[in-house]
Amino acid sequence: MTTEMQSIELEPGGAARPAGLMATALRRLRRDPVSVAAFGLLVILVLAAAVGGPLAAHLTGHPPNQQFAGALAADGQPLGIMQRTFLPSGHAHNPHGSLFVLGADALGRDTLVRVLYGARISLLVATSATALALVIGVSLGLLAGYLGGWVDSIVNRLTETAMAFPNLLLAVGIAVVIGPGLLNVVIIIALFTWYYPARIVRGATVSTKRMTFVAAARTVGARPRRILLVHLLPQVWGPLLVYGTSIIANNIIFEAGLSYLGVGVPPPTATWGEMLSDAVTSGMYQTDITLALAPGVALVLTMLAFNLLGDGLRDALDPKASR
Amino acid sequence: MSRVIVQRLLGAVLQVLIVTLLAWLLFYVIARFTGASPAQRIAGKNATAAQIAQVARLLGVNKPYWQQYLIFLDHLVHGNFGFSYVQERPVSAILWPATRATASLVLGAAALWLLIAAPIGAYGGLRPRSAGDIAGRTVAILGMSIPVFWLAPMISYFLGYQPTQGKLAGLRILPVGTTLFPILGYTDLGQNPLEWAYHLVLPWITLAIGFAAVYIRFIRTLTAEQLGEDYARTAKAKGASTSRILVRHVGRNVAPTVTVLLGADIATALTGVFFVETVFSIPGLGYTGLSAIENLDYPVITGVVIVAALIAVLANTIVDLLHTALDPRLRRITNI
Repeated sequence: MTTEMQSIELEPGGAARPAGLMATALRRLRRDPVSVAAFGLLVILVLAAAVGGPLAAHLTGHPPNQQFAGALAADGQPLGIMQRTFLPSGHAHNPHGSLFVLGADALGRDTLVRVLYGARISLLVATSATALALVIGVSLGLLAGYLGGWVDSIVNRLTETAMAFPNLLLAVGIAVVIGPGLLNVVIIIALFTWYYPARIVRGATVSTKRMTFVAAARTVGARPRRILLVHLLPQVWGPLLVYGTSIIANNIIFEAGLSYLGVGVPPPTATWGEMLSDAVTSGMYQTDITLALAPGVALVLTMLAFNLLGDGLRDALDPKASR
Repeated sequence: MSRVIVQRLLGAVLQVLIVTLLAWLLFYVIARFTGASPAQRIAGKNATAAQIAQVARLLGVNKPYWQQYLIFLDHLVHGNFGFSYVQERPVSAILWPATRATASLVLGAAALWLLIAAPIGAYGGLRPRSAGDIAGRTVAILGMSIPVFWLAPMISYFLGYQPTQGKLAGLRILPVGTTLFPILGYTDLGQNPLEWAYHLVLPWITLAIGFAAVYIRFIRTLTAEQLGEDYARTAKAKGASTSRILVRHVGRNVAPTVTVLLGADIATALTGVFFVETVFSIPGLGYTGLSAIENLDYPVITGVVIVAALIAVLANTIVDLLHTALDPRLRRITNI
């Protein structure tokens, strides 16, 4: 039970054996069925993003951006769930078959294939934006917390202003000014999310830097860089992991929101936000609700998985939780 | 106490200044290099070089940047947000009704999400791990995972559009042409309060659900925390009823924290407003800002950004001051 008793509170005893802490958290996570389910959902999602799209495109013979004239009914209604298309001769329109599992959109593109391809953009943008935000946030937080003084004041002012801001509007404004594109979207999202990790890291650094083990490290001649990276950074892994999970969830919504507003990854690339906005702004979702349901349900499931896993991680890393 | 207030207000002014600087840099300086010049936009496509130069002189774009910024600030202070490129109206005349519409939407939704979250959260804190608590938490995590830009069309479809087709929840139980709730249009509060509320029912619900979910969790945690305190146990030992403990004792300790969160979340809600307003066609700040972005109408975009930031900073400042008033402990500390 001794490893179980370890806490992540920022105390020298816990700090000496961070591996034990992680092991404890992992064991707790494995015993929590909800977290396991959420993790399973995420694995499925990553698989869907990595191989699901191309696989579905191969099986159905519908590349994500190809428009099938046959998928549009004569009255302009898009193809519904599990419907097939036929050539005028009565044959299937392509050798692989003609089944549109989730129907087709207003342009005759396969909804299922596009939803699967959309998972790629969502995960790619959200994780890289989160990684970038963490790098910026952790560096600034460590520096602000460790150096104090005017560096700290500037970082604090910046985070306060950034947090008090309805950031989507400014993000859209920046996107309009610097133009669309995958990399730009990642940069914009990171620009609006770095301050959460910065605040956490700063807080933890301020409370840790006065601890004896930091003083001891300094006494034996450790340079600031070593103190920051080797002694202070490991203290904040736990909370960063929890926040990182919820930031990824937020960034997935952020990316979808930008795409929804038409300033995300440019079309015809399939993204969930762009699929939703296609369905909604054209009013086509009133004719065929699947067009809004498919990307929406994909988004909700992804969010749910990240939120549940974040909750599980927080409980698993909580020193006060019952063991 | 007064020193704290002055400091807080100075901080707020500084935040607004930073926002104006950012907005000006982005939409007045950087935008000039990426798109058509503002003088060109105002003078029109067929303007001669002399006409454009004339407009440029009037706009002051030939002056040094720092002077331009000061002029921009001076205009802002006097309520002059410039002139819309597209609508041929002063931006302030566009912003004022939009701000009223957005305020109606956000404040109404905030009242609704508190109304939903307070009882569910308090119950969960009171009876953790009960069936009701688990149900509440499930609803909360689901609500947190639904993006507002998906919820808006869903609510509009299932509660607004489908009833007009004679369906409710997919079942044909209504006469065709029923309008359960309107999905389009907005009536100003001053014109007709009943119509105002009726048109805002669906937008309020849409905006409130995500926040209600977050607040259920907040209030649950806070309530559970406070119920574990000595004073709550004492009150129980003295025979106070559960409802009295919750309302009179725990409620008074939870309220200040919730108020602070509310200030921050009114700023966050301004993000959701974009989507809700476009789906339900409410002529608010989000709707105005988005159509301005589509038209590259930079003065209007700048105006919307600054007004939205003003609202956010104002909400935060009021809430901070309210927090001091609500929490006697803070009053005592700051009085020393």
